Amino acid sequence: MTSKKETIISAKALKKSFLTADTEQTIFENLDLDIYKGDFTVIMGSSGAGKSTLMYSLSGMDRPTSGEVYFNGKNITTLSDDKLAVFRRKNCGFVFQQIYLLDKMSLMDNVLTAGVLCENNKKNTVKRAEELFELVNIPEITRKKFPSQVSGGEAQRAGIVRAVINNPEVVFADEPTGALNSNNSTAVLDVFTKLHQEGQSIIMVTHDKKTALRGNRVLYVRDGKIFGECSLGTFTKEDRHRETLLNNFLTEMGW
Amino acid sequence: MRKILSQIIYQLKKDKSSYISFGIIVLVTAFMLNCAATLLLQVDKAYDKKFENLHTASVNVCIPKFQDNAELSKAITEMDGVTKVESHEAILAEVVVKKFQDADFSMNTMFYNLDAKRCLNCFEIKAESEKTYDNPIYISLYVAEFGEFSLGEEIVYVIEGTEYRFTVAGIIEEMQYGNYGSGLMCTYLPEEEYLCLYNELENSLMMEYSLSLNENAELDKIKNDISSICEEKGVTVVSNLDSVSVKGTRTMVCNLLILLLVSFAMIILIVSVFLSNFRVKNAIESEIVNMSVLKALGYTSGQIVASITLPYTMVTVLFALLGVVLSYAALPVLSQVLTIQSGFSFTINFDVRSLLCAVIVLSGVVTLFTFVSAKKIKKIQPIDGLRGNTSSKLNRKNYFPLESTKGNTQFLLIMKQIFACKKQNVLLFLVSFVLTVLIAFSCTLFYNVVVEPDNFMSALSEETPDVIITPKEGYTEELEEILKGDSSVESTLKYTTGSIKIGDSIVTTFVCEDFSGVKNDVCYMGKNPENADEIALGSALWENYKIGDMVTVSLGEKEKHFKVTGFVQSVNFQGEICELSLQGYMSLCGDVQTPSIYVYLKDTADAEKFTESYKKDYQAMLSDTVNSQKLQKEAQDMYMGITVVLVALIFTVTILIVLFILYIIIKSLLVKRKQELGIYKSMGYTSSQLIAQTIGVFMPVSVIAILLSSAASLFYMPCIYQFVFEAIGVMKNNMEVSFGFLLLFAVVQIIVNIIISVILCMPIRKISAYSLMKE
Repeated sequence: MTSKKETIISAKALKKSFLTADTEQTIFENLDLDIYKGDFTVIMGSSGAGKSTLMYSLSGMDRPTSGEVYFNGKNITTLSDDKLAVFRRKNCGFVFQQIYLLDKMSLMDNVLTAGVLCENNKKNTVKRAEELFELVNIPEITRKKFPSQVSGGEAQRAGIVRAVINNPEVVFADEPTGALNSNNSTAVLDVFTKLHQEGQSIIMVTHDKKTALRGNRVLYVRDGKIFGECSLGTFTKEDRHRETLLNNFLTEMGW
Repeated sequence: MRKILSQIIYQLKKDKSSYISFGIIVLVTAFMLNCAATLLLQVDKAYDKKFENLHTASVNVCIPKFQDNAELSKAITEMDGVTKVESHEAILAEVVVKKFQDADFSMNTMFYNLDAKRCLNCFEIKAESEKTYDNPIYISLYVAEFGEFSLGEEIVYVIEGTEYRFTVAGIIEEMQYGNYGSGLMCTYLPEEEYLCLYNELENSLMMEYSLSLNENAELDKIKNDISSICEEKGVTVVSNLDSVSVKGTRTMVCNLLILLLVSFAMIILIVSVFLSNFRVKNAIESEIVNMSVLKALGYTSGQIVASITLPYTMVTVLFALLGVVLSYAALPVLSQVLTIQSGFSFTINFDVRSLLCAVIVLSGVVTLFTFVSAKKIKKIQPIDGLRGNTSSKLNRKNYFPLESTKGNTQFLLIMKQIFACKKQNVLLFLVSFVLTVLIAFSCTLFYNVVVEPDNFMSALSEETPDVIITPKEGYTEELEEILKGDSSVESTLKYTTGSIKIGDSIVTTFVCEDFSGVKNDVCYMGKNPENADEIALGSALWENYKIGDMVTVSLGEKEKHFKVTGFVQSVNFQGEICELSLQGYMSLCGDVQTPSIYVYLKDTADAEKFTESYKKDYQAMLSDTVNSQKLQKEAQDMYMGITVVLVALIFTVTILIVLFILYIIIKSLLVKRKQELGIYKSMGYTSSQLIAQTIGVFMPVSVIAILLSSAASLFYMPCIYQFVFEAIGVMKNNMEVSFGFLLLFAVVQIIVNIIISVILCMPIRKISAYSLMKE
């Protein structure tokens, strides 16, 4: 079934290592991976397995030590820093565990700061931002507040709006519910599900099963490689079959 | 204490380079402060010590020898307050010294007998040749240093048109007259040579009465009493100088230097305080979580405040000490320069008082201000800090909301940042404004000394003709006719100097046939005398008279009343000068000794050729011809050289300080905004955009401050220069503040700032979005 899908990101012989106290610590090596358009790909693994490092290497946020990453067929590992920045603004949206909104700006300004990079007409950007804020259920009065003045859930949903304001090819989410309570987590995940249902490609790193259930494809990183993968199919609430499928997969992976 | 020490070490290690930059600024300040304090504490003392060691008299009165008598001597000796009187025979002549710094230098010189015994006004032989010369002479330190004469070199004095050739056999140091400013120089001749001159210049023989006074004696009263005694006995007082006036003249440049050093040090100290304040505020903002954690662990606010304040105190003390040590390397050079000007040598010694003054003042001020800024920590509750709910975050205003504000987004983002960092920018504005004062000061000095040298020279000199011709008696009219017919001559003026008595003071008078024709109008209030009964007084007499008053002027037996028309200035003669019209002066002395003819040449004429041709063609009519233009040019070149060095020094120091300030500001900004920059990078902002944005946050403020300060200096700089010149007795100066030059210097300063900022912001390029966010 996946073979019919269009590949959006393709990693070839990817290696990432760090030098710590004169010792090379390899996170992953000789890793090949394809990410498909329209998929909600979830990357799981134990702490320190290199899930986030892999995701940031795929997104052009971080440079791999060796190997290539092709994004829509274009090798992004050879791009200069500035070209990579231009590439990111057009193709990638990021959602972080720590949210990372600019604290001196209102939620709306945070979104527009990213939006104006790709759209010259500010009115259009503002209009799209307003639509997206509606979609994530953030009222107008909250949009004018600073990140420190809103709840974590509201801030993270604003973070998602910022990530998708430029219609990116892929949204990369690094533990987006990691710092949120249960209610806020659900609200945030609902937004991701809604976006996925609208055709948005998403790559999400998580170690939470409930969060992983939102995806349709789960990759498990272990020992510096993709140890296994599982296809969950389309997300529907209270779907016991998907939950069982994921549980079995994770057990098999040694979770 | 151990707990705080670990925090202090952490603070110092964390931001080594910023502390070093701050330390270097402190070092420069300490350097200047210690130089100023050491000079202030030692030069005066060294002067007084030498004054005492050489048994220098407090008052020296000079009268024509033929008028001296035992009665006068007795009257002076019996004056109240006088402890000792000694008379010295001398020859006083207005001389021209040839090749004085390669030019002709005119000055009043007292020739003394080197071998005559004296208990007062002794001298010290600083250098003496072992060889024996024909016509040996012992010149003063001032003439040797400033005129660039060394032992064994020939020195030519032109006295009343006759050249006297001597060989420098020794260099002496005395505290009696000393430098050009006092209006009199000392020179000593061995008895044989002295007697030769004595026989040739009988009309110039003088008797000098040197008076030592007791501690309670009033100098002015003694001087006035002497004048009265002389007047009673019909004796002309040629010169009546006191030690306080002479000291003022000889230490003038030193005092001016101290004033400049202290002013500059204060400006840089203000900058240091601003910087420490800025750094502390930034540290509190970026370290709020760590500080809250420390508070949560049980550290007291006082301990945390101490851990922020003490690193600054330690850095200040350390670098202030280094600055003081370095200043002792520069002080001998400074003392050498001051020796040339003051005509007395002194050695700078290590002075613990100036060291303590520099270190305590600097560390005290820095500690106080950092403590006041760091006190803010006390108000932060640990939980608020940990949650990031500080009052500054909660009470934030959204400046320039992007959705509703029209304009370029990059520009609006910069504006948001500028307004979000208001306090920082106010600080930066003040620092840039203050530093531009230094640049504007040096720029104005440069303009007036190098580009428009006449402006500066006119403040320091008296009349500045191109050539001074002194005719032999009876040839004045004939020479004037010749000069009028000379196509290279623009105009001529009869001009001379003399001494008159106003009240009880002996005053040097400048006499001119028409003051409206002078090139350098030294009248700073009212107008020059035009008629025979008019007089303009020097700045020293300003307090006693006002314009319109009648002044009694006497010369010898003759006395006449003159109306005060204005006030004139002079760097020399301690302001005890006046101006009289030629008719006015003649009405006093009957017949003026042959006045000089001041010749003003056309721009195309060559003063050197003119001087030489007149010397050759009209030898029979001329007593002396001096190329005054060359003399002025020499002085001008000397001032230009000093100014260029000074301006370069000020500019370099300022740029260095700007460099360190920008380094500290940008470093702080980068540390504070590291995560924010990472977020921008993750959104797709390029490094160039972020560099432009970072510079855009503070550069407009700096640029506005520089431009405003430069524009404001058009108004305040004349006041600063007025203040500086008034300190040396120049009440009116022609220093121009050139808008064009200020703008040029401002633009250079801005360009340098931008270049430095771009270089300092370069690390943004090297940091990946991911690593920025991970920090």
